[in-house]
Amino acid sequence: MSEYAIEIEGLTKIYPPRLKAVDGLDLTVREGEIMALLGPNGAGKSSTIRILSTLSGFDSGRALVGGIDVDRDPEGVRHTIGVVAQKTGVDYFLTGRENMTLQGHLYRMKKADIRTRIEELARHFELEASLDQPVSTYSGGMTRKLDIATALIHRPRILFLDEPTLGLDIRSRKGLWSLIEDLNRNHGLTILLTTHYLEEADKLAHRVAIINNGRIRIVGSPEELKNSIHGDSVVVLFEEAGAQERDFAVLLKKQGIARETVFDGNHLHLYVEDGTASVPQIMAAAAAAGVQVQSLSLARPSLDDVFLKYTGSSMLDGGEEPQEKWWHQWAGKGGGNWKKWAAKWQESESTEETWQGNEWVDAQGRPKGNWGDDPQWQGNEWVDAEGRPRSDWSAAENKKRRGRSS
Amino acid sequence: MLADTWHLFHKYMIITLRMPLWSLFTLIQPLIWLIIFAQLFGHFVQADRYMDFMVPGILIMTVLFGSSWSGVSLLREISAGTVDKMLASPVSRVAIVLSRVLHSAVQVIAQAFIILVVAWLMGATISMNPIHVLLGMLLIFLLGIGFAALSNGFAITLQREEPLVMIGNLMTLPLMFFSSALVPERFMPDWIELISLINPITYAVEGVRAVLATPVDLTVFARGLGIMALFAAVTLAWAVTAFKSLRD
Repeated sequence: MSEYAIEIEGLTKIYPPRLKAVDGLDLTVREGEIMALLGPNGAGKSSTIRILSTLSGFDSGRALVGGIDVDRDPEGVRHTIGVVAQKTGVDYFLTGRENMTLQGHLYRMKKADIRTRIEELARHFELEASLDQPVSTYSGGMTRKLDIATALIHRPRILFLDEPTLGLDIRSRKGLWSLIEDLNRNHGLTILLTTHYLEEADKLAHRVAIINNGRIRIVGSPEELKNSIHGDSVVVLFEEAGAQERDFAVLLKKQGIARETVFDGNHLHLYVEDGTASVPQIMAAAAAAGVQVQSLSLARPSLDDVFLKYTGSSMLDGGEEPQEKWWHQWAGKGGGNWKKWAAKWQESESTEETWQGNEWVDAQGRPKGNWGDDPQWQGNEWVDAEGRPRSDWSAAENKKRRGRSS
Repeated sequence: MLADTWHLFHKYMIITLRMPLWSLFTLIQPLIWLIIFAQLFGHFVQADRYMDFMVPGILIMTVLFGSSWSGVSLLREISAGTVDKMLASPVSRVAIVLSRVLHSAVQVIAQAFIILVVAWLMGATISMNPIHVLLGMLLIFLLGIGFAALSNGFAITLQREEPLVMIGNLMTLPLMFFSSALVPERFMPDWIELISLINPITYAVEGVRAVLATPVDLTVFARGLGIMALFAAVTLAWAVTAFKSLRD
């Protein structure tokens, strides 16, 4: 057996004609680890999970789950994995026990085996008392626990969790985290989870893979990732980020006050050696440059800073849940609006962002901050209400917008 | 595959039996038709026993109304994530469609039986010979499978609830009136009679009529049964193909 539970090479999934949901994704998950795919909505997390769990086909690349090729032997993969999708798959009109029994039958388990396994899982997930109640009486947290328990009925080695704590209150979320951790530590389950909660990736995962626009940007333990941003993070808010503010950022870097500078809308993120020492310097430089600073905050780098550094946009923007998500996923076949939206997408040029020197630049080598000045984008439908160019939106927002126009 | 079908069918039956009211609701419409048509058209048509003529038509109508819901509930299951959960398991894909369609057909049989009893209580002359009733129900069962399969197939191709419900409604009444379900052939204009010849409902109605009304005509019934078996097989094959190609 290979030491990797999951191996993905160059995985690409295209929604015709040209929308790349997953774009040359590479990732390996070790046997027995918890790996979090962290990224905004629409980054390609769910698509990746759907491909790995045989729910979705793909266009190129290779994916092995438990050493089995997803494309060649989907049946084999299905026996190896447990899947908890974002939408709960449990039946509300059935009791918890009935849900689990049915799932056991679908995996062709023996009756007696199903019975013992249900007892085991109910104990682990503290569902014993409500096992014979209909799921419609369960709380959100209980439903999610039942969903995970159901997915584990056939003793899979690998578990996929797509946004496991989405929509749960903090207490249920923490409870679920400890249960998931326990599954991994005491039962040796390899877990691949997706999340857009920074804290979840930070607390739960051994390693985090940052995903944006269908591609993995960086993989590492939360500590490694945060340490990759040295020192502290200072966020300066301007009224608006114009040419003067940009010159100011360049100046800070030139003077050695900031090691790296990244604009995110009107926020300027500065990465500095020592936060407390640099704040007065920054303020003095701002005064000298005649730049109005609205507010300034100082923090240890978080995973969001890591995200910003490797993707050029903050995850905290556009964290809204896209509507009709399932619809997009199912719309690939048989009509629907998908083709229309995909064609619309095609009209707008895909922009490749690259890190060049000290700024994010697009395919034409224009610095990111200037993209909005390009008349091509202005007055065009891809400019949003705040006048931000399309390139500033996260993929999730694009998806949301497309959904809204329907 | 058969075991998978059975387990899923079992699940759907549990759900239905937990909500008996819902099944009763779908009965209301055919019951209303039964009463209105018997009263209204009874005088109109001047046929001496219009009620006897009409009851098989109402039974078929019950089937159409009942089975067109199957696709709607499939869409609900897709959006709830239940279908994904099934697809991620090694369960047979054919069994998913088959169990849904069987469940719908069984439900429809139960409803048709209730309508039959009500009509009988209202004074319709119906052959209550158990063998005849059983044969009639067999035909209704096949028709139910066919229309449930159509409904599921449309659900998968359309992928939205609104057009699906619209198609269901759009199909039901013309199919009824372009057949001899409610009006005897001799009252039909030629063009309607022509359409009724290629309408599977015509054969279903005549088949049911041939066993439930006297005199019993087994040749007509056999023709209806054969056509219904073909209809069910074709629509089912279509629905299964549509479902299998669903993977995006």
